[in-house]
Amino acid sequence: MVQKLVVYPDPRINSTSTDVRIFNDTLWDILQDMKDTMEEHNMNAMAAIQIAYPYNIIIIKEGEEYWELINPRGLTQSGSFDSKETTAYYPDLEITVKRDENMKIIYEDREGKAQHRDISDKQLASTLQRKMDYTFGGNLLDKLEKKEREKMLDHLADRGLTPMPVDDICPTFSKKDYFVSFTNKLLLVMGLSLFTPLFNLSKEVIDTIYNIDKIIFPAIIALMIGFFFYAQYEAKKYKQCSSCQIGNNIGVIIKRVTLATLFALGSYFILSPK
Amino acid sequence: MARLVIMGGGVSGHTAATFAKKWLGNDHEVVVVTPNSNWNWIPSNIWVGVGQMTKEEVVFPLAPVYEKAGIDFKQAKAVSIHPDGNADSDTPYITIESTKEGTAGETEEVTYDYLINATGPKLNFGATPGLGEGTTLGEHTVSVCTADHAVHANEELRKVFDKAKAGERQKILIGTGHGMCTCQGAAFEYIFNIEHEAKKAGVRDMVDIKWISNESFLGDFGIGGLHMNRGGYAASSRLFAESLYSERDIPWLIGAHVSKVEAGKVHYELLDGSTGEEEFDFSMLIPPFAGVGLTAVAKDGSDMTDTIFAPNGFMKVDAKYDAGDYANWKASDWPETYQNPTYKNMFACGIAFAPPHPISKPMSSPAGTPIFPTPPRTGMPSGIIGKAVAHSICDLIKNPSAELHKASMAKMGAACVASAGKGLTDGTAAALTVYPVVPDFETYPGLGRDLTYTFGEIGLAGHWIKHVLHHLFIYKAKLKPGWTLIPE
Repeated sequence: MVQKLVVYPDPRINSTSTDVRIFNDTLWDILQDMKDTMEEHNMNAMAAIQIAYPYNIIIIKEGEEYWELINPRGLTQSGSFDSKETTAYYPDLEITVKRDENMKIIYEDREGKAQHRDISDKQLASTLQRKMDYTFGGNLLDKLEKKEREKMLDHLADRGLTPMPVDDICPTFSKKDYFVSFTNKLLLVMGLSLFTPLFNLSKEVIDTIYNIDKIIFPAIIALMIGFFFYAQYEAKKYKQCSSCQIGNNIGVIIKRVTLATLFALGSYFILSPK
Repeated sequence: MARLVIMGGGVSGHTAATFAKKWLGNDHEVVVVTPNSNWNWIPSNIWVGVGQMTKEEVVFPLAPVYEKAGIDFKQAKAVSIHPDGNADSDTPYITIESTKEGTAGETEEVTYDYLINATGPKLNFGATPGLGEGTTLGEHTVSVCTADHAVHANEELRKVFDKAKAGERQKILIGTGHGMCTCQGAAFEYIFNIEHEAKKAGVRDMVDIKWISNESFLGDFGIGGLHMNRGGYAASSRLFAESLYSERDIPWLIGAHVSKVEAGKVHYELLDGSTGEEEFDFSMLIPPFAGVGLTAVAKDGSDMTDTIFAPNGFMKVDAKYDAGDYANWKASDWPETYQNPTYKNMFACGIAFAPPHPISKPMSSPAGTPIFPTPPRTGMPSGIIGKAVAHSICDLIKNPSAELHKASMAKMGAACVASAGKGLTDGTAAALTVYPVVPDFETYPGLGRDLTYTFGEIGLAGHWIKHVLHHLFIYKAKLKPGWTLIPE
């Protein structure tokens, strides 16, 4: 059955395809769907993820024959050339990337029998490499330098194709930032309080400032504890947010608690009534 | 008073011994039998192997630590297990052979109530002709498996750098020395540390560095690869690894079984059946692992090694060893309690337990040579398993019907920080986490892993973490104040 092609900006192309473990009717149905779709769209090669089947399968059309590769792997590679490539995922885009000229590959056939082949045809090698990239969650644009990739993305954006928003990515502003912002202000107050002896202030005023520091310090500790638990809650909500990871949160806490401790010690030695 | 005997004092054995002593106190005896006088933080050996650390920084003497903890330390290698005792006594015991200076070679019988096998692996250099003889490293290559090996590796590496400085082009080959090796991670760290050092020494342009391994794709690491979130989707570690190798100009040869090593040359067979040779001036090839060769003896003196140990020499535990083909493998095949199915007072932890099957897809060449990574059991799982086993035994000593503690690698995450170059400001390391270690295709259809807890990133911060962990784990192993607070 002809299936719908996964086309940019559909992010499913970034999924890693899992190795086929069971060679049965399900696999053979997928292979047939891939061939039907290739026929329909006049494609010469396809990775299963291009029709949203996350399996490590590639089909390449050689003449009138379909070459089925299940769980393909490249063992060795040699030579290098600039390959001008197009792909159904990025319609109307032609990209030049470096590819290996020769490859040794292993794969399994539809019955699960191990096969291998030496590829010395540049065109076939580049097609295979492009499709294998798809099976591991990569695509053509990943091969480009950042600037060139951005240029290509801009080109696609000009045609109204922009990356699809992904759920649960980092929020631009999260409520945990309130904890950090308030803590920063308190730290500023503590820091400034250390300079009070430079001014000609009365002992009562300095004592009051010292007492304020004595309240601020535990308040900062409490705020950071609150921050930790709220950040943990938020990290579960935004699974794909790297800045939400526990390591970053601990870093935020350590930095501020260390500063607060230093200020508290400074306050004790500089401001406390002796 | 019960006696717990632990064979092996590596990450898993040391963890089990120290926690068991802490929980049992002086009411019961904890005995550690290990052939080494020193404890070695193995993950840092790669830094010794490039001259960035000394041997003394990665080892410390065990005797004073055990003396302080009240653990009976016997510097000896375990030779045989007699789980039913002998003709004269029903008390189970092990025989050990001293490796201590002055008493070396003397044998002794040590009785036990509970036994933990944490002997780790035998470095099976002899499996590949030319790589070594038995457990002894050969003359053609180097190793970073022990601190002494790593010291030797650095000495040889410096000679290669000196030649490169003198204008002689050098070729370095790093990877695995057999089709069924594990520990690709250590070789991965070593090759990138060498590359980093070559740059620092100003000889990178005179040194060709190449990777050779039994993985069927770069970034397999013996766990079938891992996956990183990218825009909400999982990208394979293959992309990450290939980018890194390309960026550092390190070509690779994978799906390779090193069949023979000669002076300056390895012969290999690939998964497609082709064979080839690779020349080198310096090579570090990880050997395959096997059980340490313990035998088991029945009460009547007959050999019963096959009852207790799997054919690879690792101890049988509560795993499903008849899982069959790759398609039938399940997370539940993996052991949970690490108790020997025949003798309930015997446990194995760390590398010493026999895994039910590999984690990576098993593959073989057309000639039938198996070429795939065997399952790794890195520091974190080994420590966690050691602690769980110690916990079970302590509970059993206090209450023989106590429930055993579980620590299945199919329900356990692992974090790994793989160094790619040491330096305060220019170091890099890949921080990787994977959950679960063994893919669970039933709970997590598709990739078998929970992507929330499976990720990896490379950078300077990773290096700092690796360095901090080095000090932290040595501090913990020395049982300094607060050691129990540091996780495994």
